[in-house]
Amino acid sequence: MAKRLINNVKLGVFVIAGLLLLILALYMIGRDSNLFGKNFELKVRFENVQGLTSGNNIRYAGIQVGTVRKVKILNDTLIEVTMLIDEKMKAFIHKTDLVSISTDGLMGNKLLNITPGKDGSPLVKEGDILLVKRVASTEEMMETLNRTNNNIAVISDDIKRTVQRINNSEALWKILEEPTLSAYLKESMANIRNAADKAADMAADLSAIVNDVKNGKGSLGAILTDTSIAKNLGEAVVKIRSVGDHANQLAEELSAMTQSVKNDINNGKGTVNALLKDSSLVIKLSNSLSNIEQGTAGFNANMQALKHNFLLRGYFRKLEKQKKREEAEASAKK
Amino acid sequence: MALPRTWQNFLDETGDMSRFTGRFFAQGFKPRYEFAEFIHQCFIIGYKSLPLIGLTGFIMGLVLTMQLRPSLIDYGVESQLPAMVGIAIVREIGPVVTALIFAGKIGSSIGAELGSMKVTEQIDAMEVSGTNPFKYLVVTRVLAATTMLPVLVILSDGISLYGSYLGVNIKGITSFQLFFKQVFDALSFSDVWPAVIKTFFFGFAVGMVGCYKGYNSQKGTEGVGRSANSAVVVSSLMVFIIDLIVVQVTDLLGVN
Amino acid sequence: METMQETIRPPVNEKVQEPVISIRHLYKSFGANKVLEDFNLELMKGENVAVLGKSGSGKSVLIKCIIGLLKQDSGEISVLGQNVAELDHDELDRIRVKVGFLFQSNALYDSMTVRENLEFPMRRHWIKMSPDESDERVMETLKNVGLAHTGDMMPVELSGGMRKRIALARTLILNPDIMLYDEPTTGLDPITGREISKLMVEVGEKYNTSSLIISHDMNCIRATADRIVMLVDGKCYADGTYEELKKNNDPKVKQFFE
Repeated sequence: MAKRLINNVKLGVFVIAGLLLLILALYMIGRDSNLFGKNFELKVRFENVQGLTSGNNIRYAGIQVGTVRKVKILNDTLIEVTMLIDEKMKAFIHKTDLVSISTDGLMGNKLLNITPGKDGSPLVKEGDILLVKRVASTEEMMETLNRTNNNIAVISDDIKRTVQRINNSEALWKILEEPTLSAYLKESMANIRNAADKAADMAADLSAIVNDVKNGKGSLGAILTDTSIAKNLGEAVVKIRSVGDHANQLAEELSAMTQSVKNDINNGKGTVNALLKDSSLVIKLSNSLSNIEQGTAGFNANMQALKHNFLLRGYFRKLEKQKKREEAEASAKK
Repeated sequence: MALPRTWQNFLDETGDMSRFTGRFFAQGFKPRYEFAEFIHQCFIIGYKSLPLIGLTGFIMGLVLTMQLRPSLIDYGVESQLPAMVGIAIVREIGPVVTALIFAGKIGSSIGAELGSMKVTEQIDAMEVSGTNPFKYLVVTRVLAATTMLPVLVILSDGISLYGSYLGVNIKGITSFQLFFKQVFDALSFSDVWPAVIKTFFFGFAVGMVGCYKGYNSQKGTEGVGRSANSAVVVSSLMVFIIDLIVVQVTDLLGVN
Repeated sequence: METMQETIRPPVNEKVQEPVISIRHLYKSFGANKVLEDFNLELMKGENVAVLGKSGSGKSVLIKCIIGLLKQDSGEISVLGQNVAELDHDELDRIRVKVGFLFQSNALYDSMTVRENLEFPMRRHWIKMSPDESDERVMETLKNVGLAHTGDMMPVELSGGMRKRIALARTLILNPDIMLYDEPTTGLDPITGREISKLMVEVGEKYNTSSLIISHDMNCIRATADRIVMLVDGKCYADGTYEELKKNNDPKVKQFFE
């Protein structure tokens, strides 16, 4: 009889061990289903549940908070999913939180994600319906990718055409290959320098004349002592100097610009290409250069005129003639 | 009867066995209950089978893990080893292999025990001693087998998984927690319930067939031997047939 | 032996003349095999009757019908005044307490010790008894069959004769009014058989039983039976004391005495 009692105790241990193991296993499996916890229900309506079934997991910001209880078709475009969520989450889920369907890993089970929404909205209550967050499903992603691909194809086509046009653009290549451009620039520089030299000469001459006039030399001394003339002359000199400075500056800028244009072309930069594509620019550049030339030439003439003004009245006529001729030249160039 | 003799015997025996099963249901749930004997049989059938079934379960888990590993490595999903072994053991291998071992051990011992009791008139002696031998011998054993096999299967599953855990750690390193987390993450209730429920049927079949074969044993020691032998053969076959039916039923019910 | 029988018989016969078992027009067949056909028998209180017959003549069937293990096709079996065939399960159990049955193969429960074997009928018949009383009764019964030391042994550890004694003790432990012996000496050597026969007579006196002995062992029958009934072809073929039948010249009777 005592032996039987011991046997019964052993049997009891055996059975209890088995039952405990079963309960433990069920608990381990049911951990995610909150079998033994308090739950509350929330609802969400989808157009397409993508194979979501009851028992799938629900995550709130990536944390396991419950499972899908049931999936019910409301009508042909709406499916209502009832979610069973841990009671504790009531303090965190807001009415504006968004629900989306995603996949656990690449091939895993479907799951519901609750994404925290705007702050400050009220907390959810039992049975509330949450809103759906539009999330690219794989299909939609593929669709978008397809569109992007098409766009890329169009863009690359455009680029191809642009490059072809650049290649075919004669005007551009003309600019780049134009040897006269630099020659013109050099010439302009030389003229400007020349003009400055002449201005210096003239100033020296003037001071000599002034001295002569001061000393009352010659018959014309009376006229020449008129101070207004001297004053005018001084102003003229200052202006002339400033013109020379401007010309220097302009020449520098031009050389820098051509340098950068050259670089840009070498590096194939688009914006400059686009600029250079315009053949009218070349013309304008030529014009500017010729204008500068003209300017300096005119200045030279002025200098000549000044030199002979008070000595030879007829010089003005000569000057006019020359001017006309030059203008004709310029218009011919245009 | 134009049927061949073997067929006739088969149908005869099937009918006999059905009647025997009917008798179990007719008598098994009426008083008086042989509770003490039921507990005693539970001890013999359940507790005493644990070492054998635990050992086979352990080896099964270990070997299964080691055999599956190369294939999983080929597919680059070695990390799925615990999940795969877990599902295989809990859903199918644990219940069926345990039931087969159980059929071998318990089916034969019930067949031989009741057979020899029949032959040596112990069953008659019980009847004379104011005991319904059907209740005392058959009902207790069938109920004990029905209730103990699920317990054995659960324990065997646990031991198998431990064997599998060791198997995983022979060629890799996985922590105990991670292994069981992976196993239980892969499992769901619908894996466990059908597996547990079918073990009740396995146990019932093994107990019932063993008792039937023993209770209807032919005279002589040869008859006892044949009872024990055919108890094992028929109950093993029954295990597979029930398994097949359960798969179909769970499939139809959508519990998968 | 005969003198001993004479000393037993007179007081019993004086007391009561009512039958404890009466069998009338008993028919039993298994398929086409008619085992018992119109069998009649009466066992008086205190009487020891032997049923003699060849193997397969239906002796065991007869005794199993009496105890209710088999059901007769027709006829009436009355045990202690109650018709066995009409009893429900509980009533049959109550009759069975009064009737001891010694099985041919002893039918000791292999899975139990000798003590548990003896306790089994007491437990099963819901005989209320304290553990001390129960132990005492087991010991007393074991002493009566001469095997007081075997209480904690298993049946497989015992010899054939010892088992027969234990089986006898198990049937006696309920203090039966009627003892049914199914071939008590079959399978035993002659010396042991004689010991068992002697024991049967002893316990019969001690427990004051009436007994029905099924056997084909003439030595046993001669030692234990007051009266012999010969079962031939399913019928009660001849009836009488050992001496009477020995003198009978019917070849079917004579063959048992050769």
